[in-house]
Amino acid sequence: MSELTDTSVPKFAAGCRWGGTTDAPVVLFPEGAIRVEGTGRIILELCDGHFSLAQIVEQLETQFMLAPKGKVRADVQTFLEQLHAKRIIDY
Amino acid sequence: MTQCSNPLALIAEITHRCPLHCVYCSNPLELTSRKEELGTADWLRVFNEAAALGVLHLHLTGGEPLARQDLTEMIAGARQARLYTNLITSGIGLSRERLGELVEAGLDHIQLSFQDSNEGPANWIAGTRAHAHKMELAAWIRERPIGRQEIGERRIAFTVNLVVHRQNIEHLEEMIAALEALHPDRMEIAHAQYYGWALQNRSALLPTRLQLDRAVAVVAAAEQRLRGKVRIDMVIPDYHARFPKACMGGWGRQLLLIDPAGRALPCHAAGVIPGMRFDNVREHSLNWIWTSSEAFQKFRGEDWMPEPCRSCDRRHEDFGGCRCQAFLLTGDASATDPVCELAPLHHLIEEAVREDAVTGSAPEVTGAPFHVLQEKMDGFWSYRTDPK
Repeated sequence: MSELTDTSVPKFAAGCRWGGTTDAPVVLFPEGAIRVEGTGRIILELCDGHFSLAQIVEQLETQFMLAPKGKVRADVQTFLEQLHAKRIIDY
Repeated sequence: MTQCSNPLALIAEITHRCPLHCVYCSNPLELTSRKEELGTADWLRVFNEAAALGVLHLHLTGGEPLARQDLTEMIAGARQARLYTNLITSGIGLSRERLGELVEAGLDHIQLSFQDSNEGPANWIAGTRAHAHKMELAAWIRERPIGRQEIGERRIAFTVNLVVHRQNIEHLEEMIAALEALHPDRMEIAHAQYYGWALQNRSALLPTRLQLDRAVAVVAAAEQRLRGKVRIDMVIPDYHARFPKACMGGWGRQLLLIDPAGRALPCHAAGVIPGMRFDNVREHSLNWIWTSSEAFQKFRGEDWMPEPCRSCDRRHEDFGGCRCQAFLLTGDASATDPVCELAPLHHLIEEAVREDAVTGSAPEVTGAPFHVLQEKMDGFWSYRTDPK
């Protein structure tokens, strides 16, 4: 399994894309779909191939200023690693 | 009327025509002919109705879906309806150019079947020379871009599907390694399911318990090794399970299948159940079929369940197993799925395993044309034939 570092650029894996409606978006992938809301949705919207992990974390820290230092990064990393194991996110 | 949820996926069996003759095919023995097939406009209407019902995934299957000349149009229509489109194919009939067209039309995912990793045995199981083309096609799928330049980097998801049974299970490790070299995103290790032609050929296909245990260990090791690289999904043969599978995620609960003639079925094999009326999308809306037709309500929910299912905690997990299997093995579609160790007729499965799951040498014939294979293998297994 490849390693997720600050310079990694997470993006949707082949054949994974947004679907559903603007009000209830889902991520579609082979044989499945996940509903994403809240922070998950914000993270995945940043996984468009333009932002590195460090940049994604920075944007989230700006939005969630009260979160303890280091927690945002750890949470984002766990979330993306889980989706990587399911072959939904590549980096 | 039992309350129902929205369907999530539509399985569209767009044709029963197929250039392969796989002995494990789960299509019905009575196949739909070309002249009975639903036309393009009807399929496009069905895709739109499905999307409106909440369906997210469309699985285009058959037979061989590539046998339909209007496949590109169907994929474009499905994409327009915002469906996620999966093509389940043998790859026969797919040139590099046509692959480009399908991707440009909006195909999201291609699932390519393999019968073995070695050409001789693969063609023997498929009853035709298909293997070499599949290998070539796998390389085209990984090219980027596929099709015209404007699509740029967009790639489709690539699944390799390997159907496992007694005639290839012994070298599963080697097959996984060979398929891994094709760089798929996903690998489906699907043990044959005993319906249609596979049920007829069960005595040649059912693995022994020991073979299955070894196969499960091989897959677990591959999963570990390929984590983050290739996602592996495995379907085990339920004859060796203690409890039944949640067939189709429950009758009329998540999935629906439309056969080539337009009949809507709650399960691939449901056509075998006598006395059932399966309504046709030519005459009814998908919404009515899903919510109100007799067939979709027949085994929906729990009211139909006999004991021991009715009071069993597992009914929320397996929804009572497979109705078609219950009928095929016991003659009663309402019976407890005999796979379940709690089923009154579970001995039918034990007998099938005792009689059919026995190792022995197969008269492997390679490099022969179909009619020779058919003749030489007669009595061992019967190849799937094409609809009239």
